[in-house]
Amino acid sequence: MIKRKLIMIMENKPGALVRVVGLFHQRGYNIETLHVDPVTDFSRYKFIEEKLETKFKENEISRLTITTFVSDSLMRQILRQLNKLIDVIAVSNEETTYLKGVLLDENLL
Amino acid sequence: MLMRALHDEGVELIFGYPGGAALHIYDAIFRQDKIDHILVRHEQGATHAADGYARATGKPGVVLVTSGPGATNAITGIATAFMDSIPMVVISGQVASHLIGTDAFQETDMIGISRPVVKHSYTVFDAQDIPKIIKEAFYVATSGRPGPVVIDIPKDMTAPDKLYDYEYPEKANIRSYNPPIEPEQNQIERAVAAIISANKPVIYAGGGAIASNAFKELFELNEILDAPITNTLMGLGIYPATHKRFLGMLGMHGTYQANMAMHNADLIIAIGARFDDRITNNPSKFSPDAKIIHLDVDHSSVSKIIEADIAVFGQVKNSLEAIIKTLKNNLDDYDSERLKPWHSQIAEWRSSHGLNYELYKDESDNNSILPQAVVQHVYNITKGEAYVTSDVGQHQMFAAQYYHFDKPRKWINSGGLGTMGFGLPAAMGVKFAFPNEEVVCITGEGSIQMCIQELSTCFQYNLPIKIININNEALGMVKQWQDMNYGGRHSESTYQNSLPDFIKLAESYGHVGIKIEKNSELKESLEKAFSMKDKLVFVDVYVDPSEHVYPMLVANDSLENMWLSKDKKT
Repeated sequence: MIKRKLIMIMENKPGALVRVVGLFHQRGYNIETLHVDPVTDFSRYKFIEEKLETKFKENEISRLTITTFVSDSLMRQILRQLNKLIDVIAVSNEETTYLKGVLLDENLL
Repeated sequence: MLMRALHDEGVELIFGYPGGAALHIYDAIFRQDKIDHILVRHEQGATHAADGYARATGKPGVVLVTSGPGATNAITGIATAFMDSIPMVVISGQVASHLIGTDAFQETDMIGISRPVVKHSYTVFDAQDIPKIIKEAFYVATSGRPGPVVIDIPKDMTAPDKLYDYEYPEKANIRSYNPPIEPEQNQIERAVAAIISANKPVIYAGGGAIASNAFKELFELNEILDAPITNTLMGLGIYPATHKRFLGMLGMHGTYQANMAMHNADLIIAIGARFDDRITNNPSKFSPDAKIIHLDVDHSSVSKIIEADIAVFGQVKNSLEAIIKTLKNNLDDYDSERLKPWHSQIAEWRSSHGLNYELYKDESDNNSILPQAVVQHVYNITKGEAYVTSDVGQHQMFAAQYYHFDKPRKWINSGGLGTMGFGLPAAMGVKFAFPNEEVVCITGEGSIQMCIQELSTCFQYNLPIKIININNEALGMVKQWQDMNYGGRHSESTYQNSLPDFIKLAESYGHVGIKIEKNSELKESLEKAFSMKDKLVFVDVYVDPSEHVYPMLVANDSLENMWLSKDKKT
């Protein structure tokens, strides 16, 4: 069990955060720390805008950081479960990123 | 606006129950004639009926309930649909916006309560958004891995005195949602290479193959492969059960040959199946020598319990098409003759401990009626063509084992959640979808009493379903476990002679009841029941209460270790 960090870019919609937190509880994962910020500097996420063919607006998306103690295989499962949440646009750990359902081999967030 | 949007979405039928917060919507239902509303007797019945409709047709089921208790009563049905990945849209009324959070009359946090058992949910904050939300909800419910979606609508959002511009979107566009459709070709090629080199392959197909409507593709694939094939409880019908390569169901109460083939395979081709605990038993002892190819639309289902060697993400229908195409280009490399020793090994397993299809030949009145024989008779009388819904317990397993489904979407049961009370309302949903087809509900005296109020709905809408109540005067599966694991201590699994007279009960709801207590009456009485085409017939069959379901996997062991009868183990 190593401490790991997950980063998510998600829609800033009512109930979106509780879906993430609820998923951790429901699947028996533990949250060590959690941090949420509205994204104001969109330049970092241009690649997401391009991929999604969209333009982010003020207050539309949030960046969420979670740290948790888990094994490798569980980490993969958590990533996949988070990727399934409809409001999650992208989620990554140290090695991989799910961007709109597509798995990429690097941490882009 | 809501009704118009539902109509524009193609909805023909809503199952529901009115109440305060939904009254504006109900008034709109009254003032239109394009969508039929079915009044159930309990919101759980509405969700199961919509679920049955969805399973039989492949179209999403639609439910309308009011706030508070209406919403909470719907939860069991939503969870049932969620566990089996059934497309469903549940519209729940909510107290008016300004009352939310004040503990108003019939207020409950439906979005919060339903969150762990929905694919997604929406609250309407602005009535103008209703068409867009409806479009998105149906898209989410039916695409990717299907599932239930809840739309919570505060009462003021449906107020009739406000008018809005209406435009129904042609397409749902959700930028953060992108379920996989087409598989990656390099994974397809790896899968085909593994298929070509396997000597002991087994195809293991589940509910995902039905959800993806992959019947034709799976059949075509196996015309080339000629591999043995097993279905999960949820997958029954996706491959013809009467086909010589069909092994029967696998898992906890799977056939001897299916479980043995899985355990000894060198390649398992999992198609829309998720290796749940009723299949794998003990994952560390599961199929030790098998390479795993896993076709699924859901990333999180793959390598969750059993590590996949080759993962193919996409709609399984498309993935199967891609495999067939690639395989056809390499046909010279594929020799189905090499499977001969594997087939003869399976034939040996099948003949040594196959299910006993001859049970019904011993039908003297000296013997109690066997539940398996009841299912076999129903199978013969309906020529294997009926839609069969079931509840949960021994009767469900007997139905799955002894009714042979040659087509998908005919076997309707709660596989994942195991919801008692599912069978009757689900049968209603199927009958609404296919009024001219035979619909049978195989149930038990425990399950049927969990949603028996729907007999009244069946009378109101004249639904001539056939209910086969396999009555062993006990919670049979609970009792079986108590026999096997708890020294025969039948804690709270019998009713101490408190069962109702089901015949009188059926009659008081306006239906026909037939009681069967003797083997000599079984066939004739069942035939009589099925001959009453325009009547709901409740057949109450008293069966041997000591009968157990076998085979049964030995707890926490591998698939080759099964109980074959009360005193015989593999």
